[in-house]
Amino acid sequence: MSVFGRLPRRPARTVASALLITSTLGLAAAPVNADEITFWSQPYGDLLEWKRGMNALADAYEEQSGTKVNYEVLNWSVAFNTWLTVAQGGAAPDCADMYWLHSFSAIGGDQYGPLPINEYKDQWPDLDKNFYSGSLQDSHYRGDFYGIPWRGDVRPLMYRTDLAQEAGLSGAPQTWDDLVTYAKAMTARDDNGNVTRWGMSPGSEIVTQAYIPYYWQAGGVFMTEDGKTATIDNDASIAALSFIRDLVWEHEVVSPEFMEKSYDPESEFLAGTLAMVGSTPGAWPGRLQRENPDLDGKWALAVPAAGSAGRDAYAGSGYFGVLRGTEKVEQCVGWIKFLSSPENMQKLSEASGNVSPRRDVMASDFWSDTDWKKVVGETLEHQHTSQHPSPAWSALINDEPGSVVYDMMYEAIIQKQDVKEVVQRAQARMQAELDRVSK
Amino acid sequence: MERKKLIFCYLMVAPSLLFTVVLGILPMLASLGISFLEYDLLRVRDFGTPFVGVDNYITVLTDARFIQSVWNTLLITGLVVAIVIALGLLLAQVMDAEYRGRALIRVLICAPWFVPPVVAAAIWSWMLSTSRSPLNAALMDAGIIDSNIRFLSDTETIWGISIPLLSVTAVRIWNGLPFVVIFILAGLQSIPKSLYEAGSIDGASVWNQFRFITLPLLKPILGVLLLLLLITGIGHFEINYIMTGGGPQGQTNVMAVYAYQQAFNSFRFDYAAAASGVIFVITGIICFFYIRAQLKDGDDA
Repeated sequence: MSVFGRLPRRPARTVASALLITSTLGLAAAPVNADEITFWSQPYGDLLEWKRGMNALADAYEEQSGTKVNYEVLNWSVAFNTWLTVAQGGAAPDCADMYWLHSFSAIGGDQYGPLPINEYKDQWPDLDKNFYSGSLQDSHYRGDFYGIPWRGDVRPLMYRTDLAQEAGLSGAPQTWDDLVTYAKAMTARDDNGNVTRWGMSPGSEIVTQAYIPYYWQAGGVFMTEDGKTATIDNDASIAALSFIRDLVWEHEVVSPEFMEKSYDPESEFLAGTLAMVGSTPGAWPGRLQRENPDLDGKWALAVPAAGSAGRDAYAGSGYFGVLRGTEKVEQCVGWIKFLSSPENMQKLSEASGNVSPRRDVMASDFWSDTDWKKVVGETLEHQHTSQHPSPAWSALINDEPGSVVYDMMYEAIIQKQDVKEVVQRAQARMQAELDRVSK
Repeated sequence: MERKKLIFCYLMVAPSLLFTVVLGILPMLASLGISFLEYDLLRVRDFGTPFVGVDNYITVLTDARFIQSVWNTLLITGLVVAIVIALGLLLAQVMDAEYRGRALIRVLICAPWFVPPVVAAAIWSWMLSTSRSPLNAALMDAGIIDSNIRFLSDTETIWGISIPLLSVTAVRIWNGLPFVVIFILAGLQSIPKSLYEAGSIDGASVWNQFRFITLPLLKPILGVLLLLLLITGIGHFEINYIMTGGGPQGQTNVMAVYAYQQAFNSFRFDYAAAASGVIFVITGIICFFYIRAQLKDGDDA
């Protein structure tokens, strides 16, 4: 049965047709009927199940309020460019499941993109008590309230327990030194000395996001609290970059290709050619459990290993918010309030597999019925929000050549340039990017 | 009567002309306009879009990454065009000849055409991934190599040419070849068979028939084909972007990918527009020759 409850199942063919039409023709413009709102969200978990569940919630809300919610899926493959277009005046829904508030707010200004809803904030009187504080940062910008965080992406460490046991290791790596030990023990080579299984990948294929927690674990911060001054020319940068560089070249446990677009850590992990991922995106464990029963009992999660300053875990959030240009703010706020009720947040968390920013949801049975979910809960205690107080942040950490963090990583780790000089150059570039927004 | 015919012709061409203007010409002009403004998405809110003259062009043309992308674009396009035409001439002869199983061969040659470039890029990314490549596995099993070839990530270069560049070039050739073959085949089938019969009677060898009959009569078609391939090659995006994102170390980065990265990664639509402006100028020059060749052919006819 659907985690969204006992609601009518629509034929898969209808959903598939709708998805096809949506992806072919683009998303529809807002409806003209006053009692209708258009709502977009990215898909999570099983696509058809997700869409069916969201439609069911929309039907329930219509029954309760009389407002019809036209729900449309915005596929991840086009999500970023779509939100970028929305922030520049492109066709937008009335409200949506959004992310990267700081950048899109800065781009849209007071014309387009996310709309502050400060006057409605009192509809959630216990926000600070019910939600993790880190997640609330992702729905606030420059002191304004933009909506309700509903999903988190907290990133623990993931490793192959069967391979660790084969190597005579028990328990999870606790420190950076342990990471080296585990990765070395689980790296395998053929008779010619070629690596057939890499011991570790720092994180997912989005390599800049993979780097960030190591920098935090070494005690670094990227910028001052006002978002105006870059603060990466420090020992933490040198420690984090040197650590990953050594994993690649000295210990030879991380593929020298890990920064190339063709490298896919998730596929490598599934294929058994990668034993450990230092910072694992929140969607992976659920997908692994759902789609790879053959690996049951062969993998586990752990709180990220500790660097010199802590065990910080990368964390991001998505939020339900309202878009500028809509004339249906109140209807949207009502819909968001409906979605943010404890029971619906529970349904959303279960359906998506994403951790919930609501404390009561994370305390539920669902988030403690397997070992890996318990670890996700433990990792929340170490979460460090990935949002930063500058609209330039998303450009700074873009995962392709040309962004400050990517280039810094590539020069220091792959090209083995002098780390100190690389960091100094990156500091200057980052400062120029931060100045770009304000000067 | 003549006037009615003319109106009918204009009516027939109007829909496609309208689409071309709305979806092609206007966005292109808008993009050119942006290339002369400061159009930084992170600054538009506070600083607007002031006119900056050719500053964006200067920035882009002095960016080592862009210069590298220009060189890569020209190199990859040159390789693709040369190889695809050479192979196209050969395979068109194969498709034109009469033998048992010709239909099957035709289908096989045309098959890559049915695969959209985006899908082709995704498939070949897997085929060429270092650790999971079936090609590497086959070569290893055959004892030809003793370590995996890094098709998409080897940074060693010889005269600026690397294995990733050759890999991407090969996929573009694979994906573009059927179009060229069909194009040339159409030309071959327009050559009267009597000319070959006359050549045979005069004792011309197969090579001489190809050299003195086929090639001269295909020349107009090959000219058009060359220009079309150059135009599409200069602006090519998807295979390079999906397979390597321009890496490693910018070795497969092309101008269109550079423009995309400026716009959507760095939010610099002004630099992206300037890079696109350079693409426009290069393709514009090629188009000039294309249109001139078309007009000349029309006059000759």
